[in-house]
Amino acid sequence: MNTGIAILAILRESWLTLRAEKLFKLVLGLNMLVIVAYLSVGFDDTGVSLFFGLTHVDSEYIRSGTPFARTLYLGIYSAFIVNLWLAWAASILALISTSSIFPSFLKEGAVELVMSRPTGRTTIFFVKYIGGLLFVAVQVGIFTLGAFIAAGWRVDVWDPAIFLAIPLVTLFYSYLFCVNVLVGVITRSTLTALLATLLFWFSTFSIHNTDKILTENVIRFQTSATRAEKRVAELEAERDAATAAGQTKEAEDASHWLQGPQQKAEQAQAAVDQLLPWETVMGLIQAIMPETDRTIGLLHRMLERDADLSMQDLMSGRAFEKDEDHVVPDEMEAAQIEMVDRENEVPGWWIISKSVVFEFIILGIALWIFRRRDF
Amino acid sequence: MPAAIDIQDVEKTFRKKVRALRGVSMQVDPGQIFCLLGPNGAGKSTLVKILMSVIHASRISGTMLGMPIGHKETLRRVGYLPEHHRFPAFMTAEQALHFYGSLSGMRRANRLKRIQAMLELVGMAAWRKHRVGTFSKGMQQRIGLAQALLHDPELLLLDEPTDGVDPVGRREIRDLLIHLRNDGHTILINSHILSELETICDQLAVVVKGRVALEGTIDELTSDRRRWIVAYEGSGPEWTDEETRQDGRNTQVILPGASANDVQPVIDRIRGAGCSIIDVSEVRESLEDLFMRALELAGEDAATPGANKGRPT
Repeated sequence: MNTGIAILAILRESWLTLRAEKLFKLVLGLNMLVIVAYLSVGFDDTGVSLFFGLTHVDSEYIRSGTPFARTLYLGIYSAFIVNLWLAWAASILALISTSSIFPSFLKEGAVELVMSRPTGRTTIFFVKYIGGLLFVAVQVGIFTLGAFIAAGWRVDVWDPAIFLAIPLVTLFYSYLFCVNVLVGVITRSTLTALLATLLFWFSTFSIHNTDKILTENVIRFQTSATRAEKRVAELEAERDAATAAGQTKEAEDASHWLQGPQQKAEQAQAAVDQLLPWETVMGLIQAIMPETDRTIGLLHRMLERDADLSMQDLMSGRAFEKDEDHVVPDEMEAAQIEMVDRENEVPGWWIISKSVVFEFIILGIALWIFRRRDF
Repeated sequence: MPAAIDIQDVEKTFRKKVRALRGVSMQVDPGQIFCLLGPNGAGKSTLVKILMSVIHASRISGTMLGMPIGHKETLRRVGYLPEHHRFPAFMTAEQALHFYGSLSGMRRANRLKRIQAMLELVGMAAWRKHRVGTFSKGMQQRIGLAQALLHDPELLLLDEPTDGVDPVGRREIRDLLIHLRNDGHTILINSHILSELETICDQLAVVVKGRVALEGTIDELTSDRRRWIVAYEGSGPEWTDEETRQDGRNTQVILPGASANDVQPVIDRIRGAGCSIIDVSEVRESLEDLFMRALELAGEDAATPGANKGRPT
């Protein structure tokens, strides 16, 4: 019971600390602006209206009551607002706000007043940590409520999955915040903790994207090699048939045309051989890093779970193709489609659990230092 | 009655290099004001922080309020005012006290009652709704005392409690400490201002270079240093065995270790010589003298800064 009182007190103190931050109010205000901008997008029988009807874009497909409108509206939320605003801009502002939590707490004169109480250091550490995550949880909570109302009002989708942004964005943020806490506990410097976290974030982003680009190119060259080999096989069959029929000219032509695909197949295979070791190395590094992008991507997946159309189809224009328009995608496009399919196949539990394991290891080190430290 | 604090052989080495405490042992009796003295960097604050589990001792044995040092639940019965404490600046005095009271496990109803009482006790009731960040050093010190007293602890550990407080405030704090002592609380004070402790100190220990150089009650430590001084006017008798000091037209006869009975013949001799006695007084060694003596014993220059400057002390 007494520990419970102390836990609530530390959480309340964290809340008061955050509320006292000017950035908290700034982020809250910016969140409201973004939501109002989202709310200003509407659909009618002829197309899309923006800024509460100030401008209008006519569209044959994207209009009130169509699945395109639903996909687009939810897609704007998950792919742009959550992905770009909440998971980038708002997170940077949140990091600036929360980076001082541990260093300020550990300052001489402040830390003694808390550490000299009956509450254990482990409890203090975790409650402080959760207190830091409150910043994001509260901001995203208010934000998603606005988005939920907007989606219901604009496209009549009352999907509680919108609220998944709260745990997912908070979880994403916690991967960064644990690094922030570790550096904060070691150095007791807000600036160092902030810079180290931003550097770490940039590293995870770079590793993830390098791995993605390498994999995409491996797929691209593999597709290219496969297609070229298929063409080689076709031309060889043509040549053999012409030879058997005594059609010397046709056989020579086929042999001549064989050279191009053969060369292409060899080049593509050489590129695959060159890229594959790097892709393996990056894949291994990626395996131990937290999945920042993919965790946010889970929201996108959840919102599109029952939809006939995906935002990807909408963005690429495939959603508007008729069956007779369908053409075989080129190698680059095929690789992109394959990548999207592969990304969607990565299980959610794997994305979260491997990231949480990383977080626990980092927090474990921070806690070990925190418990042993003299203040 | 068991000692409020009973520690033996406390050692603390920072980063395997700086030896802040080198086998400190001491006993603080219950219901006493115990003064911990020592030059800067002697290890006084380190010792207090060890008692409060803020610093881990390299070696320690002993008890505080009958429980082993480091026993977290015991801290509920201890109030602590750290040196250079800082409260969250955005909190009001009342919010800060609620926060620290809650950390000590106090329930809301109890907190409400005690916060009002403590703010009145330290003369800050009118400032309860003001932000701590706007307070002067002295006001923050008063709030610090209030938080240390809030949960009605049996034992108080105060690190420089009058730091930054004006003379009136210092006097109020001294009176408050005497009142608390009379109420049965045990108080350990760590302070540099010896003149302030002089009138309230029951027991003391002087820590020098991480060791206790002197420890005991004021009476024990000064008994062999007491002296009587008889001052008179005019040319008196010739003194051969006694120590004398000339002070203008007056002469002082100093009688180290003398009792009241030993003084009577001296008074008779002066009167017999037709001189007027101005003053007869028993002089005890001052705390400052005692402190300097401890430094001498430890071979330390009072002006020498401590070895562990820049670290918790």
